[in-house]
Amino acid sequence: EVLLEMLRVGGVSKICMSSVDEGFWHKLSSLKLNKLRLDESPIPITGFYAPCSHPQVSNHLTLLAESLPADSDDEPSSLLASQGNRNRCPVPGILLNTNTLESFYALDKQSLLKAEAKKIWDDIYSGKVEEDSSVLLRFLVISFADLKKWSFHYWFAFPALVLDPPATLVNLKPASQCFTSEEAESVSSACNKWRSKSSTADIPFFLVSIGSNSIATLRHLRELETCQNNGQKVLFGFYDPCHLPNNPGWPLRNYLAYICSRWGLGKIHFFCYRENRGFADLGLSLVGEAEISLSQGRSIGGRSHQNMPNVVGWELNKGKRGLRCISLAKTMDPTRLAVSAA
Amino acid sequence: MMALSQLQRAIQGAVGRITGPRTVSAFKEKGVLSVSEFVIAGDNLVSKCPTWSWESGEPSKRKSYLPADKQFLITRNVPCLRRAASIEEEYEAAGGEVLLDNEDNDGWLATHGKPKENNGAEDDNLPSIDASEINKKNTIQSIPSYFGGEEEEDIPDMGEYEEADNLIETDPATLQTTYLVANEPDDDNILRTRTYDVSITYDNYYQTPRVWLTGYDESRMLLQPELVLEDVSQDHAHKTVTIEDHPHLPGKHASVHPCRHGAVMKKIIDVLMLRGVEPEVDKYLFLFLKFVASVIPTIEYDYTMDFDLGSSST
Repeated sequence: EVLLEMLRVGGVSKICMSSVDEGFWHKLSSLKLNKLRLDESPIPITGFYAPCSHPQVSNHLTLLAESLPADSDDEPSSLLASQGNRNRCPVPGILLNTNTLESFYALDKQSLLKAEAKKIWDDIYSGKVEEDSSVLLRFLVISFADLKKWSFHYWFAFPALVLDPPATLVNLKPASQCFTSEEAESVSSACNKWRSKSSTADIPFFLVSIGSNSIATLRHLRELETCQNNGQKVLFGFYDPCHLPNNPGWPLRNYLAYICSRWGLGKIHFFCYRENRGFADLGLSLVGEAEISLSQGRSIGGRSHQNMPNVVGWELNKGKRGLRCISLAKTMDPTRLAVSAA
Repeated sequence: MMALSQLQRAIQGAVGRITGPRTVSAFKEKGVLSVSEFVIAGDNLVSKCPTWSWESGEPSKRKSYLPADKQFLITRNVPCLRRAASIEEEYEAAGGEVLLDNEDNDGWLATHGKPKENNGAEDDNLPSIDASEINKKNTIQSIPSYFGGEEEEDIPDMGEYEEADNLIETDPATLQTTYLVANEPDDDNILRTRTYDVSITYDNYYQTPRVWLTGYDESRMLLQPELVLEDVSQDHAHKTVTIEDHPHLPGKHASVHPCRHGAVMKKIIDVLMLRGVEPEVDKYLFLFLKFVASVIPTIEYDYTMDFDLGSSST
């Protein structure tokens, strides 16, 4: 019983994963009026996320005005804005904005989710993940923008590949308890270095390799084989947006699918990287050990690419499956604005 | 009153256009910042408190006198664990406030001032907030009946998650609690709290930084700006904190009006100099944010660089 209780705490948290800035809806409105009009084709968008930076709140995948493409060709380039920094790691996503509420409800959510998951699955097999690891976090938003009432219905999905049989969590502890003090110091400083360098600050998945001299280095995923050949201890690290002490955040799921499908590893250590006030905090960060059944891994490599696992991922709203709705009449309705300015 | 303030804004706009942004430093004399000093101070804030970053905002609202990629500073998703009113009660009891400026009732309250004699804690920060205590207070005990059970919905019923999850999606893993799967944590202590995006812009008329607040409720939905006033010190809520258009972002946001910023900063700088501390312009925003903490006492944004206010020499 005790054992069961201990293992149960490891569930991957998916509480309150999305957040939409008001600017996103303003931009979507002008985009729809000026450019999209009745076009319902999917729009590539960029979400932003960052590791948890406060012990009491999780971070979210955030949509900002810059998440959307420019609404006219001569608008000053928003390229600058969509570039990442340490507090906004860009993540690719798709927005499906329907013209009516009826067509919003009529969307085949299950196949939409599957289609996005398929991209993740393909990227795992093609090696795209090693070039740009953020593709593991692909997301999908469906929306209906009622521009007469300035209200927006929307629903996020974060496709998660379902390992079957699922991965087992053997161990999960604060990172500070899993390293020697020398290692911990070295891991912290390596993380802070990675986070402060503009070329790596927005790369959410990485390797932590620790040599026999207790010196830790952060490396790109593509360097895995080099680390293994050098006999270093390797942890699979990721920016964990979750703050809960007993739960790794949602990016871990597809990460595990990647690790077992691409590298054929059955037993791995992962590192949920979290910060306090912008700096590595190994007391908040977690180290866990996961066992993944290899039957779905490389051993059946060729076939398994054809057999995509099941997918889950529609976001919950206040504990229930359902859409969200926001009214911005107060800030968008010109008659109300005129009244409040008078 | 409204018309007057609009007129005032129009005049300020015109003055701004005629005089242009400040280029000569008057940091020590007037407590104000030139544009380039704002950028220097901002760069320093971003490097010392990395949860802050520069942003470029809406391209159409870009100010030509600031670098395109350094239009304003922002820190997102900052927790606000309780309403300002409750902290004020405690504070009054502790006697930890001093009036920095008592010429008129526009005076700023400083939470970092000298505590009253019998208060042992010197240079105390905000009253410490114990997470579990807050959690009990705000999430579990406060289920007011006048909201017709609406609050109750905010508290997740763990039983519903998995059930709902299996309605549409089949995730065999959720049935096995020993597996590493996406399920809701069993822990009942998930803290549901308001969060804020705090931004700092450069106000060309007053030649000081200006703070803006965008609030989100417990489920990360946009908070009406009026509700933001609940998280502002009640002495400022209807005077110095107003709801206006953000210079770089769409929508209405709450903002601390900058009309007294220069004077307050000048006072802080004078105090430092009296104590033999030579204030450096790149630390301006740290001083500024410490003073802003008296206006928004419950929003836990990053102003952590603890630096000496010069108390040692007195």
